[in-house]
Amino acid sequence: MAIGVLVVAAGLTAVLAASPSATVAQVQSTLVGKQAPAIAGPTIAGTEFSLPKAPGKFIVLNFFASWCVPCQTEGPELVTFQFQHQASGDASMVSVVFDDTVAAARAYQDGTLGATWPTLTDADGKLALDYGVEGQPTTFLIAPDGRVVAHIVSPVTAAELDQLIARAKAVGA
Amino acid sequence: MSRRRFPLWIVLGVVLVVALVVGSGAFDSTPPTAAQRAAAIERGIKCPSCEDLSVADSSAQTAVIVRAAVRQQIAEGRTDQQIEAYLSDRYGSAIVLDPPASGVSLLVWVLPLAGGVLAVVLLAVVFARTRRAASLAPAEAARLEEAADVGATPGELDDRRRFLEQSLADAYAEHRAGDLSDDDYQALRRRDTARLAALDLRIDALASAGGGEAGTVGGVATLERDEVAGDHGDGTVPAGAGRNGSGTPGTEVDGTGHPGGTAASGSAPTPRPPRSRRQRLLLGGGVAALVAALVLVVALFAVDRLPGQTSSGNVALSRQAQVQQTLAQAAALENENQPGEAARLYQKVLDGQPTNEVAMAQLGWLEYQIGVQGASTSLIADARAKLTEAVRLVPTDYAGRLYLGTLLFEQDGNAAGAVAQYQAFLAADPPADLLTQAAPVLRKAYAQAGVPVPSQVPAG
Repeated sequence: MAIGVLVVAAGLTAVLAASPSATVAQVQSTLVGKQAPAIAGPTIAGTEFSLPKAPGKFIVLNFFASWCVPCQTEGPELVTFQFQHQASGDASMVSVVFDDTVAAARAYQDGTLGATWPTLTDADGKLALDYGVEGQPTTFLIAPDGRVVAHIVSPVTAAELDQLIARAKAVGA
Repeated sequence: MSRRRFPLWIVLGVVLVVALVVGSGAFDSTPPTAAQRAAAIERGIKCPSCEDLSVADSSAQTAVIVRAAVRQQIAEGRTDQQIEAYLSDRYGSAIVLDPPASGVSLLVWVLPLAGGVLAVVLLAVVFARTRRAASLAPAEAARLEEAADVGATPGELDDRRRFLEQSLADAYAEHRAGDLSDDDYQALRRRDTARLAALDLRIDALASAGGGEAGTVGGVATLERDEVAGDHGDGTVPAGAGRNGSGTPGTEVDGTGHPGGTAASGSAPTPRPPRSRRQRLLLGGGVAALVAALVLVVALFAVDRLPGQTSSGNVALSRQAQVQQTLAQAAALENENQPGEAARLYQKVLDGQPTNEVAMAQLGWLEYQIGVQGASTSLIADARAKLTEAVRLVPTDYAGRLYLGTLLFEQDGNAAGAVAQYQAFLAADPPADLLTQAAPVLRKAYAQAGVPVPSQVPAG
């Protein structure tokens, strides 16, 4: 009995010790490692947007709502991330409105946040469905070749996104 | 005369099977409509953003999206399995509330059924052993009794005797109550009477060897044999039972199987030896496993509940399920024209979950209706605040949108504002009956705002 308990405890310790430390709430998504579903549709600015299957740079795809407090927390971090990568052009933001009105989302992105990247309206929820979004904020990191390399379900910072990109690059993304 | 009764468990089994077959709808020949299929699938798909609700029970945005996807997939001719696979590809296999019958999840289905089969086998074995033991010939029973009594102390023999007497009394009582057939009773009685006789011989032999007085074995007081006798002819069984003091075993059987005043023939003692610990464990485990398997089978085959109904026996509702139940009760009270009681329940939900948009919207709507009836500006103002908060909390909450639009239209004459709310209401894919109910006020608001009425709104 005691030996059994010790074996289980040792096993748990080994598993926990071997697990990578998580700074953001990444989850095991069915999409990670697969080709990202198509990202296209009207934006809150009234234009059409379509992302190539292989975008050639890292894409941070962020599902948000203007009324969502965690989204408001991470919003400035996303602005920072976009600003830091604008010059190099190695990564870029794309936002998707989730569970919000277009008017409110536009007021938030343009007025409150000052976002300069495209924000898709996703009025029919197709993008949210294709990406299996369960709430907001939800963020996906897409590699230059179009594969999903991370799925995050908590507010994310610019530094954390940079870490994820560095990790993806290290494994050849 | 021997009566042969139809075993009760067969009757119960037949009733259970018939109920399950009828309840499962196996005889329904009409194929389900697309809406019925969608409703059935939606009940089995988890709302991705909810704790433990199906998409059918949730108004969350994720549920709305999944419902729309299910309906689109049905329209495109997909099978139920293909639709589940489609959703599993996006949200993971946990999106399906019923675990798949493959891989490791198969164990969830197989183990209870295997346990049920095992339980039936165990019970059958235990009952067969009991019957076999009961049907032992008296001579064989006596031989076994003698073998078992070798080496026993007088005290142990006396205990065993009391046990046999009590068992006979129990069998007699069961027989009289109709729980034991004539044949079984006779078999048990013959066997244990023979055992009792063998036991008495052994006790007497010990008493003679030890020089004890009649009625005692090695100094241990024994019961009087006369008391072992029958039921005094009136069908009653004496409370005590025992040996006579003569040392002659009172083991005559009258051949009729009824207690007949002969020694040991009718009184108490009985057949069944005490079940060993192992037997009791087997029996208990078998019964428990059988019950578990039956519960699973009933849960699998019973027809789905209607909205608002609770499953019988479910006392461990989760917090979210309790909220849903309270909301359903409140809605039922609303339908029964009991707004005060309904409002109390909605408020109860809000006390526990201040951001519950459903309770917020419904309570706001009730306050609005009562405020209009009583011309209470404060109630209407309160209703306005609640409805505004409800749509702020969940912009896709169709009920909140409908109520707020109606308030704007009726109280403020703000047709344009109302239409904006109604557009959001229609975009949230509201239930058909609510849409029909709301159609008149929608058409009026659209007309007043000079906006064409969407085709989604039923014509008047």
